Amino acid sequence: MTEDYIIEMRNVTKRFPGIVANDDVTIKVRKGEIYALLGENGAGKSTLMSMLFGMYEPDEGEIWVRGKKEEIKSPSYATRLNIGMVHQHFKLVSNYTIAENIILGVEPKKKAFGLFPYVDIKTANEKIRSLSEKYGLEVDPEKVISDVNVSTRQRVEILKMLYREAEILIFDEPTAVLTPQEIDSLLQIIKNLRDGGKTIILITHKLEEIKQVADRCAILRRGKLIDVRDVEGMDTREMANLMVGRQVQMKVEKKPAVFGKEILNIKDLRVKNDDDFEVVKGVSFNIHAGEIFAIAGVSGNGQTDIADAIAGLLPVSSGKIIVDGTDVTDMSVRKRTEAGISYIPEDRHSVGLVLDFDLKDNLALRRYYKEPFAKKGVLDPKSFEDYGTKLIDKYDVRCARGNTTIVRSMSGGNQQKAIIGREIEQDAPLTIFVQPTRGLDIGAIENIHRQIVEERDKGKAVLLISLELDEIMALADTIGVIYNGQLGKIAPAAEFTTSEVGEYMMGVKHHD
Amino acid sequence: MTDQNKTRIRVAILSVLLSLLAGAVVILILGKNPLTAYFNLLQGCGLLPKGKYGGGKSMITDLSSYIDFLTPMVFAALSYAVAMRAGLFNIGISGQMLTAGFIASITIGYSTLAAPIAKPLVLIIGIIAGMLVGSLIGFLKERFNINEVVSSIMINYIVRYVISFFIQTKYVDPVSRQSKNICDSARLTLHQIKLGGYKYDIPLGFVLAIIAVIAVKFMFDRTVLGYELHAVGSNKVAAKYAGIRTGRSLIVSMAISGALAGIAGVTYYLGYFASIQPKVLVSTGYDAIAVGLLGNNDPVGILVASFLIEIIQNGSAYMSSQSGLESEIASVITGLILLFSACNAFFLEKLAQKKAEESRKKGAKA
Amino acid sequence: MIDNIIIDGMSFALPLFVMAIGGIYSERSGITNLALEGLQGFGAFTGALVAYCLMRSMGAGSSVPYWMALIFAMIGGAVYSLLHVTLCIKFKANQVISGVVINILAVALTTFMTKTINKKVFGAPSDKFDLGVSARITIPGLSKIPVIGAFFKSVYPFEFVIIIIAIIAWYFLYKTTFGLRLRACGDNPHAVDAAGGDVAKIRALAVCVSGALSGLAGICFAYSISAKFSGDIYMGYGYLAIAGYIFGNWNLLPSLAACLIFGFARSGGYQLVQALGMPSAYSDLVMILPYVLTLFLLIFLSKNNQAPKALGETYDKSKR
Repeated sequence: MTEDYIIEMRNVTKRFPGIVANDDVTIKVRKGEIYALLGENGAGKSTLMSMLFGMYEPDEGEIWVRGKKEEIKSPSYATRLNIGMVHQHFKLVSNYTIAENIILGVEPKKKAFGLFPYVDIKTANEKIRSLSEKYGLEVDPEKVISDVNVSTRQRVEILKMLYREAEILIFDEPTAVLTPQEIDSLLQIIKNLRDGGKTIILITHKLEEIKQVADRCAILRRGKLIDVRDVEGMDTREMANLMVGRQVQMKVEKKPAVFGKEILNIKDLRVKNDDDFEVVKGVSFNIHAGEIFAIAGVSGNGQTDIADAIAGLLPVSSGKIIVDGTDVTDMSVRKRTEAGISYIPEDRHSVGLVLDFDLKDNLALRRYYKEPFAKKGVLDPKSFEDYGTKLIDKYDVRCARGNTTIVRSMSGGNQQKAIIGREIEQDAPLTIFVQPTRGLDIGAIENIHRQIVEERDKGKAVLLISLELDEIMALADTIGVIYNGQLGKIAPAAEFTTSEVGEYMMGVKHHD
Repeated sequence: MTDQNKTRIRVAILSVLLSLLAGAVVILILGKNPLTAYFNLLQGCGLLPKGKYGGGKSMITDLSSYIDFLTPMVFAALSYAVAMRAGLFNIGISGQMLTAGFIASITIGYSTLAAPIAKPLVLIIGIIAGMLVGSLIGFLKERFNINEVVSSIMINYIVRYVISFFIQTKYVDPVSRQSKNICDSARLTLHQIKLGGYKYDIPLGFVLAIIAVIAVKFMFDRTVLGYELHAVGSNKVAAKYAGIRTGRSLIVSMAISGALAGIAGVTYYLGYFASIQPKVLVSTGYDAIAVGLLGNNDPVGILVASFLIEIIQNGSAYMSSQSGLESEIASVITGLILLFSACNAFFLEKLAQKKAEESRKKGAKA
Repeated sequence: MIDNIIIDGMSFALPLFVMAIGGIYSERSGITNLALEGLQGFGAFTGALVAYCLMRSMGAGSSVPYWMALIFAMIGGAVYSLLHVTLCIKFKANQVISGVVINILAVALTTFMTKTINKKVFGAPSDKFDLGVSARITIPGLSKIPVIGAFFKSVYPFEFVIIIIAIIAWYFLYKTTFGLRLRACGDNPHAVDAAGGDVAKIRALAVCVSGALSGLAGICFAYSISAKFSGDIYMGYGYLAIAGYIFGNWNLLPSLAACLIFGFARSGGYQLVQALGMPSAYSDLVMILPYVLTLFLLIFLSKNNQAPKALGETYDKSKR
């Protein structure tokens, strides 16, 4: 007897130029279960679900919904099949209210003078209030999206699905942007939704979450389905091995730290963003040679602004930044670089690289103006080539055409290798890493973690800013937790537990 | 030459052919023979012999006049390319040309200075005037975040009306209704020089144009300034991160762009012509965009493209007189070239995708 | 004198405003539209051509050519704007370049066609279509009110058309589902796509609206300022309209205010030149007033203005 599946994706294959994103994948989801898709970045989880949601069409294979073969050509058709999806990058209109976002595409209408149809926002507001109460998703429908925080935005995305009466809910890496406490409450919401009869597909690479909520789990690796397991009784280490296809090292090897002299000293730093809104509100800390200082915090609490302010990309409104004895507070970016700052920015595409330049030009981005690269304003192409070749080799940057590869065409991991190589070669006393492993696979992450520790052991001061708590716990010698533009507790890493850091990140616990 | 450059050239040639084809269809509809018309274009530029020549004229006369006409275009297109390198769209070239031409005319053009002093001065004043207007646009962009397209257009109109006011009130020639002719010693084209029984226009600026092409090419590829402008044009944030003063780069690129437009202006108003028509902005500044797009913003590409576009523009008068077609057809064909060139990026991407697909298939088979 | 400032100012400001409305539609949907100048010219050309043909068969007395001109100018502008749609949406061209290209092509095409049609069809070489100036309407009663009465005196009929269109445009942009989705496209097209809206279609429609409204503006200028269609129609008014909605922060009512300022600056300057009895060359100087004013206003306002977030970005479904 065949079982009753609500979703069946049979032998689905999807190719993109250069890669096979999904290779003959078959998954079957039962009604009313939480079905997890586990895999590394680039394993093909999101692509698979994008096909179910009608954003791509499969090159081969079939999709069956409620026992019927369907060709899902658009998200709106998926919506008609009562399928909803919360994307990794929220799809919200920033200058619209929560209600306007939720009703977009399915607007309730009324007619003025019985003639002119208009969007009936009042009815929408009421309906959303009652929905949010029913599922415990607290939002104010009249607030504008740009004024609410990330977890509220996520609730808006969930309400969007519920408003459309979705029965099958897909969550794409929903916890990536949340604090541990927010994650707990989201997982609770997901359970509630299942108990309310919804079917849930959860895309994630976090094993803990799967252990907590999922009923079954499909494991993808490089586009192929590896296995489908019942979560109960499954061991996380075993899952991890299935996911990456080899034994995983969960801890970073690291000698005890030897602190040297003070390299970075930040005094009462205040920074305003482009909208003249104070995002860093009086932050002070210092970092010594041979120390990894990590700032933990939820996205958008001012941590990247601290990094940008130190590097000179954002103006400081008050306070002091002293690097290796030099006050750099009012210096230009160039002078700061020369005073001893290396910076691996969060956004490698729009900050760290000029994507349309070739590799050698990008590798020289920090020193093109100096000898031997330039003499009296004239460039020396040979120096660019030699330097490029050296770094490509030393940092194992894989690229199709060596020095002349256009950086846009390289993979994220290799782009990051190029940036890290370039910045480490600066040999600056202070190196700032912001989200250095975002979007990379485990192999690349291990490599970068090793490099960060090596820098420390060479006697550099390292400022690490990351949203991944695991990364911070594994690497940091000292941790400062940021909440709402202020550093709460600063203490040696050994004095923190993970959940304690989480509580500071949420602002639940305050500096004593 | 890299594969990428080859594809670019192929796409550029394709867009020219498509435009000529489209133009041919229009000419056919109007009941003329497009081949004859295009043949006339080449004849008009002295690239093919005409049936008969007037007194003192020869094919070389036409050619020299064509080169004279071409010279300002090379500068104007280089001006466009330098601004574009830093990501700025200089649509104010015509206004910068006019400003430079007007100021050089009233200061040196109407003076009695001897040629060896007057000619270099004309050039220098043109450069300074163009540079000032260009940097103003760059400054407004950098300081006040004003879109350079909007500010250039505003300045174009302001300059056009203000200068026409001064021409009409102070410098008008009552017969031609244009500004009074400048003296020959200040003119950058040796006009109607007799050599071996024929008359020629010898554009001194053309030598400068060739030098400018080489200089800009060198600046783009081999200098710190070129690297910085390119970085700012490709990714402003990354450029700032690299320690480049992006605001300064924007202003510098507009200053150089304006200076080149200034030279274009003096070689036009004090070279090809010797007077200024009030209330008119020349189309050279806009055609320069077509040349820049077609030449893919590369100085050498621009030189080739300006030869081509100016054949159409310069030969149109002769074509019009021979075939009875309106000479504006030249602008239409130029416009079409622009149109197809604007889609270049799309075709390039498609071709690249196709290539990637093919190599993937090959890989799969192997 | 004040009466004349108001009358001339309104007749210049309203076409500018209707063009700005078109620009707002296009840009709020996420498509940069520097093509307004070319669109108004092309629209004016089609309208003028239709009117010119009709005038020859119906005589100068009929008002039919006038109204047909308005309609066909809108059609012509909308059709020509399809070029911008094709370039920006289908061929993913740089939207700024596309806009400028369309302007240049419009000048070339319309002057070429005007000359060719005059010669081939009407057998009279000319570079223009003479239209004459539109009739004017004075509303009895209201026009008698001191000062404010001038708003109802010697009004061109097209001004009423524009006011009606502006109200409809406001209603569609801010009150209907179409408007809601259109404005969303300019902020986050992915949101519209995910909600089942067709981003390409909405944007195409928005650009067509800008084409139609610019066409209307063009024919209004032809029927008022220039009394004909010729190459003189390209006076940079399209760019003034752009400046207008940039001040207006991409919203309708503030943009109207900006356009009124331009209009009154222009008519005020003219009246001044006449009142002081200056020679005609001085009116050239007055012509620069709106442009100078634009630059100054931009200097003070540009920094704080917030363009639609997704403006100018080619929407590619597969990129996130």
